[in-house]
Amino acid sequence: MSQQLARPIRRALLITSMPVYLLLYAPLALIAVFSFAPAPGGASASAHWYADLLHDPDVLAALRRSLILGIGSSILGTILGTLMGFGLSRFRTRARTGFAAALPSLIIYTPIIMPSLVFGISDLIFFNLMHKATGLFSAGLLTMGIAHVTFQAPYVALVVFARMAGLDPNLFEASQDLYADARQSFLHLTMPVIRPAIIGGFLLAFTLSIDDFTISYFTAGPGSTTLPIYIYSAVALKGISPDINALATLMIATVIGIGLLQYVFSRQKERHPMPRTGD
Amino acid sequence: MSALTGSPFLQGTAERAERAARALRLWITAGPGLVWIVIFLILPSAILLAIGFFSIGNYGNPHLPLTLEPFREVAGYSILGWSPDNIETILRSLLQAISAAILTILLAYPVVFFIVAQPVALRPLLLLFVILPSWTNQVVRTYAWMELLGPGSALSHLAQTLGFIPPHLGLMPGVFAMQIGLTYNYLPYMVVPLYAAAEKLDWTLVEAGRDLYASGTKLFWSAVFPQTIPGLLSGIILVAIPAFGDYVVPTLLGGGKSMMIGSLIASQFLDTPNWPYGAALTIFMLVFTCGGLIVFRVMSKRLGTSEGSMI
Repeated sequence: MSQQLARPIRRALLITSMPVYLLLYAPLALIAVFSFAPAPGGASASAHWYADLLHDPDVLAALRRSLILGIGSSILGTILGTLMGFGLSRFRTRARTGFAAALPSLIIYTPIIMPSLVFGISDLIFFNLMHKATGLFSAGLLTMGIAHVTFQAPYVALVVFARMAGLDPNLFEASQDLYADARQSFLHLTMPVIRPAIIGGFLLAFTLSIDDFTISYFTAGPGSTTLPIYIYSAVALKGISPDINALATLMIATVIGIGLLQYVFSRQKERHPMPRTGD
Repeated sequence: MSALTGSPFLQGTAERAERAARALRLWITAGPGLVWIVIFLILPSAILLAIGFFSIGNYGNPHLPLTLEPFREVAGYSILGWSPDNIETILRSLLQAISAAILTILLAYPVVFFIVAQPVALRPLLLLFVILPSWTNQVVRTYAWMELLGPGSALSHLAQTLGFIPPHLGLMPGVFAMQIGLTYNYLPYMVVPLYAAAEKLDWTLVEAGRDLYASGTKLFWSAVFPQTIPGLLSGIILVAIPAFGDYVVPTLLGGGKSMMIGSLIASQFLDTPNWPYGAALTIFMLVFTCGGLIVFRVMSKRLGTSEGSMI
C-alpha cells in the first residue's frame, strides 16, 4: 500500500513538507518569543508583559466578556444544535425527496457556507433595524451572542448527526419494544450514546466563539469589546506591542490546549466501543 | 375481524397518525434551531440583499424609491463620472483568491502525501498539527505576519538588500503581504479535503502502473493525481471563496492602496455609510460565490463523486 512508496520519494516528501509545518507554526512561535521581551529599561527576557496584562482593567474586562460570550452562546448553541442533529436523524422521513425534504439541510448549511463578512453585515443591519423598531437588540454582548449561536448550532448539529448516523436504528425499536416511552428512551438510550458528541460539540462551539472575529466585530456595540476585538483595535491603531503579543500568546496556548484535549478525548471515546478481539 | 388485523382503511389512519407524530417530534426537536437560523441569518441576509435595490437616504440608509443606481455604482459610475477603482478592486480580489488557491495547492500536496505515507495510527495527529493553527483567532494569525513582514523585520531588510523593495519600506502593507496572509490563513482548508481524497486512494492503480514500468512523474499524473481531483475541487472552493471576501487580511496587511472587495463592502457600513451601495457590492460578491459553487457541483457530478454522508 502507501507504505510501499519508494524511499527517495518518502525522503522528498519529508523534506518538502517540513518547511510547510515550519511555516504554519513560525508566526505563532514568533509572537510567543516576542511576548517575553525585556521590560522597559531591562535587558533580559522577562514575563513583565504578562504581569502587565493582569493589571490592565481593559484586558481583564475583555477577557471576562469573551468568556461570558463563549460559554453563554455555547450552552444555547449546543442545546439547539443537539436537538437538531438528534431530531433530523431520528424523525425525518427518508422516503420523501424534493425541496421540502431538503429544506432543513439547506437551512443548517447556510451559516456554514455564508461568507462571514456577509453574515456579520446582515446581522448588523438586522439588529440595527430591530433596535429602531422595538428598542430591543441594542448592539452588545446579546446581539453578538445571538449571532454566535447561529453559527454554533449547525456545527453541533453536524457532530451529533454524525454520531447518530453510526447507531443501529433497531436500538430505538428495541427500547420501544421494552415499553420505554419517548422520554425514557431519550434519557437512557440516546443521551448516553451521544454524550461524547455533545461534549465535543460544546468544545467546538466554544472554540468557534473564541476564534470568531468578523461576525463579532460587526455585531458588537461600544461596550462589548471582547479579546479578539481588543487585539484588532490595538493592532490596527497602534501597531504591535509586547503586551498584545503576551495576550495573543495566551490565546494561542488556550486554543491549542483545547484542541489537543478534544483530540485526546475523541480518541478515547472511539477506542471504547471497539470490540476486543485479542485477550 | 378485529381492528388490529387491519382493514386497509384503519391501517391508513394508523400510518397517517404515526407520520403526524413523527412530524411533530421533528418539529419539537429540530424546529427551534431551524427557526433560529431563519430569523437571525436567512431573514437578515434577505433584508441585506433587498437593500441593494433602494435609493440612498440622507444618512447612508436605504430610502425609497427602488432603483438600480447602487449597481451602477458597483460598475464604477458616480456623480464624479466613471472610475476604474471598483473594477480594479474586484479584479485584485479575484486574482488574490485564485493565487491563494494555487499556492495552497502547491504547499498542500507534499504535506498530504507525507501524512499518507506514515503509519495509520500517526496520521490523525499529523493532520491535527496542520489544522491546529487555524483554530487560533484569525486576527492573531494575521497580525503575526505584520511582525514578520513589517518595515523593521529581518525579511524586509533582506528584501531591501536584494533590491526587491526600496529602502525604508517593508514587505507590508501591500499585495504581497495579503497574498501570504491569505495563503497562510486558508492552507488547512486545502489540506483537509485533499487528505480525505489521498487517504482512500486506490494504490493498486499505482502498482499496476509500476508493473508496466511507468516513470514516477507519469505514475503521479496518470494514477495518483486524477484520484485526488475531487478533494482538489473541494479545496479550491474552501480556499478561494472565503479568500475572495476576506476582511481581516486586507485591512491588516493590505493597506489603503490595495483594497479588496471585503474591505470595500465593510467600509460602506462602518466608515461613511452607504447601505444600498454596500448591499449591491455584497450581491455582486454572492453571485461570484454561487457561480463558483455551481461550477464545482457540475464538475464533481461529472467526475461522479458523491458528497458522502451529509445531513
